[in-house]
Amino acid sequence: MGEVIKVDAKGMACPGPISALTRAYRKAKNGDIIEIEATDPGFKPDVQAWVKRTGNELLELTEEGGVIRARIKVTAKRA
Amino acid sequence: MAKEKVVILGGGGGGAILANLLPQDRFEVTVVDKSEYHVFLPGFLWVAFKGQPKEKFRRPIKSLLKPGVNFVHDEVVGVDLNERTVHLKGGGKLGYDYVVFATGAPLDFDAVPGHRELVERFGDFYSTLENAEKLHRTLASMREGRFVIAIADPIYKCPPGPHKGTFLSYELFKRLGVADKVKVVLAVPYPHVYSSKTIADVIEPELEARGIETHTFFTVDSIDLEKHKIYSLEGEELDFTVAAVVAPHTGPQYKVEPGNVKDDSGYIKIDKYTSQVVGFDDAYAIGDCTNAPTSKSGVTAHLQAEVVAKRLQGFDARYSGRTNCPLITDGKGLFVISDYDHPPIPVRLSGLKRFLEELFVATYWSAIKYPELWDPIFEAYFEASAPEVFLRYGGW
Ligand SMILES: Cc1cc2nc3c(=O)[nH]c(=O)nc-3n(C[C@H](O)[C@H](O)[C@H](O)COP(=O)(O)OP(=O)(O)OC[C@H]3O[C@@H](n4cnc5c(N)ncnc54)[C@H](O)[C@@H]3O)c2cc1C
Repeated sequence: MGEVIKVDAKGMACPGPISALTRAYRKAKNGDIIEIEATDPGFKPDVQAWVKRTGNELLELTEEGGVIRARIKVTAKRA
Repeated sequence: MAKEKVVILGGGGGGAILANLLPQDRFEVTVVDKSEYHVFLPGFLWVAFKGQPKEKFRRPIKSLLKPGVNFVHDEVVGVDLNERTVHLKGGGKLGYDYVVFATGAPLDFDAVPGHRELVERFGDFYSTLENAEKLHRTLASMREGRFVIAIADPIYKCPPGPHKGTFLSYELFKRLGVADKVKVVLAVPYPHVYSSKTIADVIEPELEARGIETHTFFTVDSIDLEKHKIYSLEGEELDFTVAAVVAPHTGPQYKVEPGNVKDDSGYIKIDKYTSQVVGFDDAYAIGDCTNAPTSKSGVTAHLQAEVVAKRLQGFDARYSGRTNCPLITDGKGLFVISDYDHPPIPVRLSGLKRFLEELFVATYWSAIKYPELWDPIFEAYFEASAPEVFLRYGGW
């Protein structure tokens, strides 16, 4: 079982949340799940583009009360 | 009344200015630096891409400090905030009434496999004047191929630095008459060519007009010098003939007690407005070594130094998060201006602002040594160019 890596990027302006995701991704292994929360509205399209480019799996993308929450399963890291 | 002892760790952009701002009738000021020289880091660009002599961009720290400020040439190896003691490599110890961390953000060349070999071969424009000199020699001998500028971690000093390097290298190749044979390539970790989309929208057409190849979502993961390839964390690869990669930055490498004043990345945790180290009223940190959520820039270091100088004298000064990084290209350019409450906004350079940039370089040494003479000028400029002023009037 992979680990769950939680990233709180609330309050960070662009591209803070994506930078935080990139940094978490560097440490992650395949099978891990990254859960990231952000308030920057740009994060939604950015995280979708990121998932598409990197080939990881977007399990969930929600927006509630101004908080965007993404759950990403890490599957595309080079061995 | 006995003078209060202030020990400043680092005599770079932030530390030297702070030392010179503190009134000596009230404070006994000591600056500790492991280097004898103060280096003007933006000078790396002039050395690497314009071939200027490195001596222009460094001065003995002692010569930049006002008479009466003590200079200790030694490396800090530990700071105990509970014991109020700074430990030096030479075995000495310094006690203090106030300590200020200003040791900058050193680069980590071991974080990315292959990086050390890359820098040894080609040089770079982010680490030392010697490496900038080496990069200039490398670029000046390029006749064809691909010169790639890439970034290993999204958080680094002066966010437009790699972009400046990109434009300046293009100009260098043009001067050398090889611009049609050498492809300049810029790869960034962000969704757009610049960390902020507003700025990206301004520079993207400029990059395009010069035929510069760009890549987004490209964070350097490893480098293979033999195969001439850079691999990204995001799963892509880039071919290069010559490459310069901005290394991951780190916080202070020396031990600090208690350990929890450093964040996960090793930066000193401060109050972003007052620069006070969390949990200590006799410790401050300024410049690149802190976790303040603003770009790591010389302007930040300078403005935080002013805030700390005022606070040590009992005034309630606060830093707005203001940054100001100029981005110059041939004839055109822009300033990237932001603060804690406003995202970066682009300010196109008129002749006047271009002039200010030249002035900035020319007056740098004097502004370090006599900050009190220059501050009114900077203040007037900062007030006139505060992000809210631009937003109100839609720019100059
Ligand atoms: C290529 C480039 C271009 C840039 N362009 C701009 C620009 O246009 N505008 C702008 O505002 N900013 C720019 N910057 C950023 C700016 O130079 C830095 O943000 C600024 O120098 C930070 O000041 P500082 O005092 O925090 O650290 P530094 O200036 O790095 O000084 C740190 C000092 O601490 C000393 N030190 C480190 N460790 C120890 C130790 N253990 N013991 C003792 N001494 C130690 C070092 O020797 C050094 O003298 C640029 C940076 C680069 C690399």
